[in-house]
Amino acid sequence: MKIKKLVQVMIVSCGILSLAACSSMHKSSSDNADMADVNGGGAQSSGLGDGSGTFGTDGMSPQQLLAKHVYYFDFDRSEVNDNEKPAIYANADRIMANPRTKVLLEGHTDPRGSREYNVALGERRANAVAEIMKSKGVNPDQIRVISYGAERLAVPGHNEEDFKQDRRAVLVYLQK
Amino acid sequence: MRKFSAILFLFVSLIFSNCAFALLSLELTRGVAGAIPIAISPFATEGSNPPEDISAIISNDLQNSGRFKVYGRNSLSSFPSSVHDVQFDYFRNLGVDNLAIGQIRSVGYDRYEVTFQLLDVIKGKADAGQQAVVVSKKIEVSGAQLRPLAHHISDMIYQQVLGVRGVFSTRLAYILVQRVPNGPTRYVLEVSDQDGYNPRPLLTSKDPIMSPAWSPNGRQIAYVSFENQRASIYIEELATGARHIVSQFRGINGAPAWSPDGRKLAVVLSKDGSPNIYVLDLATRQLSPMTHDWSINTEPTWSPNGRTIAFTSNRGGGPQIYQLNVATRAVSRLSYDGDYNARASYTGDGNHLAMLHRENGVFNVGLLDLNGGSFHLLTNGADNESPSIAPNGSMVLYGTNYSGRNVLGMASSDGRVQIRLPARSGDVQDPAWSPFLS
Repeated sequence: MKIKKLVQVMIVSCGILSLAACSSMHKSSSDNADMADVNGGGAQSSGLGDGSGTFGTDGMSPQQLLAKHVYYFDFDRSEVNDNEKPAIYANADRIMANPRTKVLLEGHTDPRGSREYNVALGERRANAVAEIMKSKGVNPDQIRVISYGAERLAVPGHNEEDFKQDRRAVLVYLQK
Repeated sequence: MRKFSAILFLFVSLIFSNCAFALLSLELTRGVAGAIPIAISPFATEGSNPPEDISAIISNDLQNSGRFKVYGRNSLSSFPSSVHDVQFDYFRNLGVDNLAIGQIRSVGYDRYEVTFQLLDVIKGKADAGQQAVVVSKKIEVSGAQLRPLAHHISDMIYQQVLGVRGVFSTRLAYILVQRVPNGPTRYVLEVSDQDGYNPRPLLTSKDPIMSPAWSPNGRQIAYVSFENQRASIYIEELATGARHIVSQFRGINGAPAWSPDGRKLAVVLSKDGSPNIYVLDLATRQLSPMTHDWSINTEPTWSPNGRTIAFTSNRGGGPQIYQLNVATRAVSRLSYDGDYNARASYTGDGNHLAMLHRENGVFNVGLLDLNGGSFHLLTNGADNESPSIAPNGSMVLYGTNYSGRNVLGMASSDGRVQIRLPARSGDVQDPAWSPFLS
């Protein structure tokens, strides 16, 4: 479990590091906006090259879970990974506690394949997160889903590590 | 906001008009052994210098079609500009069958008289050269019309020699993506000439734009824009830039495809939970569901006779191409090779389907023979996307990745010719080839 340790260390150090250093790892504007209110939780999508691919929630504090707004998916899949669920539950609780809050769930894919098919795949990913939130009791009227497919990549690169960061759903709290 | 767009448009237009280069430039990456040899003699000029080198444009057009081997300014030692100057023996010895000659005469006020003749070298004799003339044309145009005229001449040569209508006067639509360091990414829907020249922006946005689709008459483009964090389908007039929303339901509004008569738009909507195909009547606004299930159904494309729609569906597991009878809505599967086939489009004769095909994790463009069922690849390697067929069926245009950037590629429908159109700035993707425009 050396890798888990490493991830934990990275989470802590990223909290200490300046936001600029964190967000410079990300090119997507939507992710940057998300990063701004994330602080420590920014580590989950930083992809610092640990190669484990587990962008999950192991060892995160309740605060860090609440701050995690990016949930990663496996290649060609739209099922939510179990290790992403605690962060989704935490945010579902927050949304339920604030009935006037509206959120946007963005679905994204990596750049390979057909663009419109990727839009459909991205919507399934965002819907999968929305379904978990609804099953927790979130009012469907508080959630809107949009799929960008492969049109808003997290990173512009073309290797497997980049693709891992692209395959995601992003939770965006909309202003009231 | 409108004003801002107008200023931005002006700004972008200025940038482009200031650079003498095209945004895209053609690069023949693989040619054909059996290309037809043709000589293009540099056109003689009389009076003030014309702003365009017509014979160079014609040479580029024909060379990049992959169908011709061009002998031009650098490979000829005789530059005849009228029939009685032609030494037919010289051209016969070169091994060319056809020779294009011409003159450009400045007649003042930015007007030019262009004379063009295509000669059959085999028939030609020094004493009776007129018998060799197979095409002859004299046209007066302005300086700005010289480039379109050159493409028109290329079309005439292509038609005369190959018996097929040329596509040199057609256009391309595509999405230009410019990633700005520390700033929002810029998405631009652009239209350029078929050779990449004259790029003109139709829409500039900080949100993604995708899936441009030409109306059959070439005057409008439908596309998907994600403005205001919503996917909407717009139709924009090319001449005026006026546009209107045709579809803005909850969820996906995507993959617009014009019916051959231009009256309907097949679209993909997920308003009822899952992406399904609908046909929207543009006059009555009536929406007819074509598919209705819980799988992914997307990327509709009409057969040339308008009776069937091919589309991508994962109803059998992975994405494959299916065909839908528009009248009965009966569905049958078309693609069987490989575990990923998507984004189909019909050739003009309706006999083939170009599609995106994945094999061993690599995405290529393939062509399926709908009569015989045989399938062959047109490209080799790279992550290709969005195949779009030229209106004469000779080439397939697609997005590809080259040196880490998205660029456009073209392949001949027999797969023997491949051309890359590198972008000079940013990523160029999601292309659509226009129909014939005149």
